[in-house]
Amino acid sequence: MSVASAVSRRELVRAAAQRSLTRRRINGRIAQALCAVAAVASVAPLVALLYYTISRGAQVLSWGFLVNAPTPPGIPGGGISTAITGSAEIVGLALVIAIPIALLAALFLFERSGRLAAALRFSADVLTGVPSIIIGIFAYALLVLPLHAFSDLAAAFALAVLMLPIMIRADEEAMRTIALDLWEAGIALGARRGRVARSVVLRGALPDLVTGNLLAIARAVGETAPLLFTLATPVAAMTLLIYTDGTQAFPIAQETAWGTALVLLAFVLLLSVAAKIAAWRISRRAR
Amino acid sequence: MITRPSARGWKNTLVGLSALALVSVIAACGSTSGGGSTPSGSATATPSPCGSNTVLSATCDTETQASVTLTGAGANSIEPFFETVFYEYNQKNSRTTVNYSPAGSSVGVSDIQQATVNFGDSEIPMTSSQLSAATGGTVLQIPVDLGGVAISYNVPGAPANLKLDGPTLAGIFDGSITNWDSPLIATVSGVSNLPNLAIKPVHRADASGPGYDLEQYLIDTAPAWVTAIGTSTPSRTWPLATVGIGEQLNTGVATYVSQTSGSVGFVEYGYALQNGFVNAAILDAAGAYVAPTEASIALAGAQAANLSSTNFNVVNETGAGVYPLANFSWTLVYQKQSDTTTAIALGKLLDWVVTTGQQDAAALGYSPLPANVASLAQKTILEIEGSTGTPLFSS
Amino acid sequence: MSSDSTGALPREGGPVSRVRAALLQKRTRPGEHAYTVLRWGGAGLFAAVVVALLISIAASSSQALAHSGVGFLWSGTWNPAAGEYGAGILVVGTLLTTAVAMVIVVPIGLGTAAFLSELAPGWLAGPLSTLIGLLAAVPSIVVGLWGLIVLTPIFANQVEPFLASMPLLGWLFRGEAYGPSILLASVVLAVMTLPTMVALSRTALAAVPVADREAALALGATRWQAVRKAVIPAARSGIQAAVTLAVGRAMGESIAVAMVIGNRPALPTSLTAPGATLGSAIVNQFAEASPGLGASSVIALGAVLLLLTVAVNAGGQALLRSGGGHRAGTAGALR
Repeated sequence: MSVASAVSRRELVRAAAQRSLTRRRINGRIAQALCAVAAVASVAPLVALLYYTISRGAQVLSWGFLVNAPTPPGIPGGGISTAITGSAEIVGLALVIAIPIALLAALFLFERSGRLAAALRFSADVLTGVPSIIIGIFAYALLVLPLHAFSDLAAAFALAVLMLPIMIRADEEAMRTIALDLWEAGIALGARRGRVARSVVLRGALPDLVTGNLLAIARAVGETAPLLFTLATPVAAMTLLIYTDGTQAFPIAQETAWGTALVLLAFVLLLSVAAKIAAWRISRRAR
Repeated sequence: MITRPSARGWKNTLVGLSALALVSVIAACGSTSGGGSTPSGSATATPSPCGSNTVLSATCDTETQASVTLTGAGANSIEPFFETVFYEYNQKNSRTTVNYSPAGSSVGVSDIQQATVNFGDSEIPMTSSQLSAATGGTVLQIPVDLGGVAISYNVPGAPANLKLDGPTLAGIFDGSITNWDSPLIATVSGVSNLPNLAIKPVHRADASGPGYDLEQYLIDTAPAWVTAIGTSTPSRTWPLATVGIGEQLNTGVATYVSQTSGSVGFVEYGYALQNGFVNAAILDAAGAYVAPTEASIALAGAQAANLSSTNFNVVNETGAGVYPLANFSWTLVYQKQSDTTTAIALGKLLDWVVTTGQQDAAALGYSPLPANVASLAQKTILEIEGSTGTPLFSS
Repeated sequence: MSSDSTGALPREGGPVSRVRAALLQKRTRPGEHAYTVLRWGGAGLFAAVVVALLISIAASSSQALAHSGVGFLWSGTWNPAAGEYGAGILVVGTLLTTAVAMVIVVPIGLGTAAFLSELAPGWLAGPLSTLIGLLAAVPSIVVGLWGLIVLTPIFANQVEPFLASMPLLGWLFRGEAYGPSILLASVVLAVMTLPTMVALSRTALAAVPVADREAALALGATRWQAVRKAVIPAARSGIQAAVTLAVGRAMGESIAVAMVIGNRPALPTSLTAPGATLGSAIVNQFAEASPGLGASSVIALGAVLLLLTVAVNAGGQALLRSGGGHRAGTAGALR
């Protein structure tokens, strides 16, 4: 090969590489721009929803709104205190039921393979698709009918059943992606499984466990259908109040509904932030 | 990487979270949640003109001695009336609090069948098969208010109280008339310059009393409707759901009508009044076109000579100025009440609602009960029995 | 990551696997009994709930299925007033709205997750993802009301006529623009399932080891190529879980859908036609939940929905298994 052709070949290769790099860079830039657009598109509905909720509900918001008991529409001085405490109680109870079971079941799936685990995982996937209204009917048949009474326990049970499959799947994913190697290392060092699970897997995956669980909790807090079947009165929980007031004829009732929606969102926001901070501090200490 | 992790952080969070849960549970239990917190029985037994506390009269209806919270569920259409009237009662008698859930007539029926509420309410009385499925024995059905169904429309440029009759309405709701400028509408209404606008009929997607009433009217007046739906018995579920749009509850229909031009739908008159809707004047059995007003609905109710829970139909009654789409709302209670204190509170509340409480009706778009219906209601309330199994009240 | 999509821990050959096998002795080592009991207890309780739910649904829907026969599943007429209970049309509506919603959610969700995880500056990613997570908390009734009050007029007056006038795709959107429609319901579903997709995909992407990205960059990839070819495939199982949960939510949503879909139990002739789904039919009929054929038919719809979810999940898993159960990207070679 002559020197000239070797040089020209090198030039050709360099030019081709340069073109490829430019093309890949441009593609990359376009793709990044599209991702940014996607992010904006994700935030836009929230902004629109928040804007509308605030514009409808802000006029009813006041300290009295939060601490007073409800009064019929048109009568001043009413509030949603019973709904707030009711929701907190029901969700708290549901969490007490759901979180331990979900964690343990997720650990079960995490450590086992085989058909049993696969079947359990599959049924969790399927269960996430059961409409919340069916779960409400289930809780009604199980806990309301036999006792001839609506109850907070029935409502909490319904919400727990709703949250369980989501939590289990999200928990297992978090454990699997974060802590697999750490788990193996722990077992290899001879530590007991329980110890490894507690100190390594759970602690290591905690931030992602919290994210996944928060999603489930947020969804459960916002559910209305299960409560329709298990609670006696609309003022027992915030979402039920939103449903009942939002579909009333009186404009003031509808404003109350939107005000309640704002309170609900604030509730969940506080919960998310608090949980994230707690998770961050725990996992920081582990390092 | 397997350092001995600090257990404190983990435990701290657990303690914090459980403390939070504990506090919220305590707070919830401490706050008022169903049932009164004051002990029953008054501190001093003042002699009252109401004798043994079981007398029903205008003054005695607001005299009870124990704190009771009553729960009810049922019709969406009566909700504005019930909310107001229960509040008024509570102002006069703070011992009785009422919580009403307006999830729909069918919910009211099923809840009372299962005895999970103190009272239910339905726009259509329970059928005999529904009554036999009630777990707590005989159910008393008490007419408590008189309301109407408005046909509301949103057509820019159309006059108010557009005249419509049964066959035209049937054509709109079965899809055979598709545009507001149709000659069929022009003939009946007498308005020939309606805009070239597609008709968007909206019905109730859920079970409803207003839907039942309209269906009854169409069955009575439009043979084409009977053919289209294949039956001459109305049902609470709208039969032709493949035409137009279906929305939930009165507010769903009201929202759609208020924001969509070309739309027409049926709502409880109280909702139409609240929203300032334009309503059609419907052809009545006497041949006149009558718009829904408190007066025309009252006239419809006045035609109910032999009203009972099996003879409850007041749709398309004959008479001058009668609005054809009217119905009574029926409150459902068990005849035999297991707790006498609750029974007293319930009976007195209902008696007050069907007498003094009717003053609230007109402003909200309902009509006061005609005299004969009010006395039927009162007579039925007198049949309520306490835990002893004998009628509780006297008038 | 060394896990495949089915089992707990991998099964390669070689000396490493023998160590692994030794570690994974099935017999309980001393001191592990309590923990094992707890694990089995948790899984057992969950399994008990699932079984109880299935039995409850099967028992309650038996009356309706006996009345209508197996044809209930695909019979095309849903007319409770006439006593006709057939779920076929509703199944079509459910699949259609879910599919359109996923067409919207998966690209946008994945793109957002990539943005948050790889491309956004640190100070932005955290608060932004918390905000998007907040969307998950908006009650379905509020989203439904917002859809009915705000979106419906916009769709009826602007969006749907505009889409119908587009040159090629306009055919998909033809017909009278009522407002409530399959399209509007799909958009509302997309809004509701987006946070799930974003949050779980972001977790999956963020969990991919830095080594993977660095390896790709070292091989000469641009930043975006590293994300696309190394990170996203490595996060496959997490993204799959995200899509599964989003699909599950979309198929089961009832109240919000019922407010914006128009509740017309007929085969939709276009995307802007009103329709009905299993969830919306359930919410409209639930008031008839007194004992009897009506109540039984409501729960039978739930049973159909369950079967549908099973089918969709199984189909999705089979698809992914055949598409690439092995690990793509640089990470696979290292494990």
